[in-house]
Amino acid sequence: MKSLPIIIFAITALAQWGAPLSQIWTYEGVLTKGTLIRVKCAAPDPYDPLRGRYLAVRPEQTNVPLPEGMEAPDEQMGYVSITTGADGLATLSSLSFTKPTSGDYLYVRVHSSYDRQASIDWPFERYYLNEELAPEADEWFAENIRNTKGIIAEVRVLNGRAVLADLTLDGKPFREILQDRVK
Amino acid sequence: MSAPNHRWLHTQLPQWEREGLITAENAVTLRKRHPFDESGPGIAQVAMGVLGALLIGVGLIAIIGYNWDHFTRPIRLLFAFAPLLGAQVFSWWALKQGDACARWIRETAAFFQAMTAGASIAIVSQIYNLGGDWPEFLLAWALLSLPLTWVMRSHAVVIFYLVCITVWSLHESSRHPAWHESARAYPLLLLGLFPFWPGWKFDQPLSTTLRWAVALSASIGLAAASYQMVDHPWSDFEVAAWMWSLTAAMMTLLPLSEAGVHASTRQKPQVVFGFLYLLGFGIVATFLDVGRDLTEAIHQAMKLPWTWLLIIVTIAFAVHAAIQRRWAVLSVASLTLTPMLALMTGEKAASVLPWLMTLHLSLIGITLILIEFLDRKGAPRLGAALLSVLIMARLFESDLSLLMKGIAFIVVGVAFLVFNIVLSRRHKKGKEKVS
Repeated sequence: MKSLPIIIFAITALAQWGAPLSQIWTYEGVLTKGTLIRVKCAAPDPYDPLRGRYLAVRPEQTNVPLPEGMEAPDEQMGYVSITTGADGLATLSSLSFTKPTSGDYLYVRVHSSYDRQASIDWPFERYYLNEELAPEADEWFAENIRNTKGIIAEVRVLNGRAVLADLTLDGKPFREILQDRVK
Repeated sequence: MSAPNHRWLHTQLPQWEREGLITAENAVTLRKRHPFDESGPGIAQVAMGVLGALLIGVGLIAIIGYNWDHFTRPIRLLFAFAPLLGAQVFSWWALKQGDACARWIRETAAFFQAMTAGASIAIVSQIYNLGGDWPEFLLAWALLSLPLTWVMRSHAVVIFYLVCITVWSLHESSRHPAWHESARAYPLLLLGLFPFWPGWKFDQPLSTTLRWAVALSASIGLAAASYQMVDHPWSDFEVAAWMWSLTAAMMTLLPLSEAGVHASTRQKPQVVFGFLYLLGFGIVATFLDVGRDLTEAIHQAMKLPWTWLLIIVTIAFAVHAAIQRRWAVLSVASLTLTPMLALMTGEKAASVLPWLMTLHLSLIGITLILIEFLDRKGAPRLGAALLSVLIMARLFESDLSLLMKGIAFIVVGVAFLVFNIVLSRRHKKGKEKVS
């Protein structure tokens, strides 16, 4: 029994490594192997006390059409298929509660349905920023959010998971734009 | 008796021996009965160690928050994982030292490890722009820190864990369909502390500070869990309010050892919190317009399995309390049953309940006063305060003019002060007799 605390401690230490490492493994996979989709955004800028400054990234599309005869139960996880349009922007085309066998899809939380439209939470919502760039990002976002081309979120998608890789305007990466503004 | 009291006793014993108040044998017996390790660290030493670990941990998180995006991902990950590894090695060393390791070092190591574990999951979610709100993050952090309470027996990590699970359970105000994502998981999270306290053999003590921390967390967390059990908590608030009274009764009646029964109220925070809620609940239930809502609420609450679980546990605890003759605690805990008694009157329940509750509270108030005058340990001031509040509640609800209400309030106030004076004189006389 004397070794029990040592065993529990070892398991705890492994878990403390395992939790972040499993996330790194999963999301590195999405970043390297995932399909790139582009989504038009609208957003304000809040702050996370534990993880630093970030831009809240809110894709414009928040509803998905419900297939005929399907009821969307509240607060359930589901799959939404992604279709890319002629303009290169991705839209959510349909909702199902079984995993799609082909094409790109996202695993999302479905909130409610109204008028045959289900409301969903995107699996990404924030883009973390360097503290020094954050004020500049605030201004940039406010100036460009009503730009007709809009701010585009570049997202990598793989097996229902998504990682927000970058934000762009006119095809130019967000960080490059901010660096230019700071100069 | 708490550690500060033990310390005080040990400082007094030599003087008592010199003055001949006790013999040397008596002093030895008292030292054995109330041991105090003077070589151990003071609370200040432990607090300073934990504060140091907290500052380093918060500093790490703040540095991570700065977001060093001009570094590559592996280097940024190193910022978080290197301190985690260092903290784990420090804890491992402290654990291997066993009893030889000073308590403040063990506390510092465990708390530092908990902080660095949080920093590592924070940086990963920052690098990959992962979503999820901060209460979810707190829960993950708490769960990764929990085993440190078992193996390192760290009080600081216990308090950290309790704060995290309490804040998390309060986060969801509306009913969440998935139980494990809502406060309904709180009882399970609280049970996570079981290996720390009371332990598999029910032999692990709990300091007074931790008692208050556990009792406060349990009061809030179990209340949040009950709230989440109700289908429409905003509109059916009375259902949650009655379930809270069952929870308060259960906490009040929590089984105690024989020493615990005779311990001071300061050592029993669960009784303090339980009494406060039950007496408040009882007084609100004496208002005539509350009767209907409360009786309807009980009908709804009885359909919930959680209510039945609370009732079963409360009954089991009540039987134990009756065996221990904890009559005062039982009399206050029984306030939760009064609405059920009123239901037995059928259609008249809504109008019977306020009067039945008034009668019940009055009996408690009178009993608390009378037993003091029968030379047993009572709570006459609490009894008098209870009766005064009841009288004021009835006056508040009556159709009397403001003038009459004002006079009545003054009369009750004067009576309360006179009673206080009489009681003080009685105590003074009692002390004079003893001396």
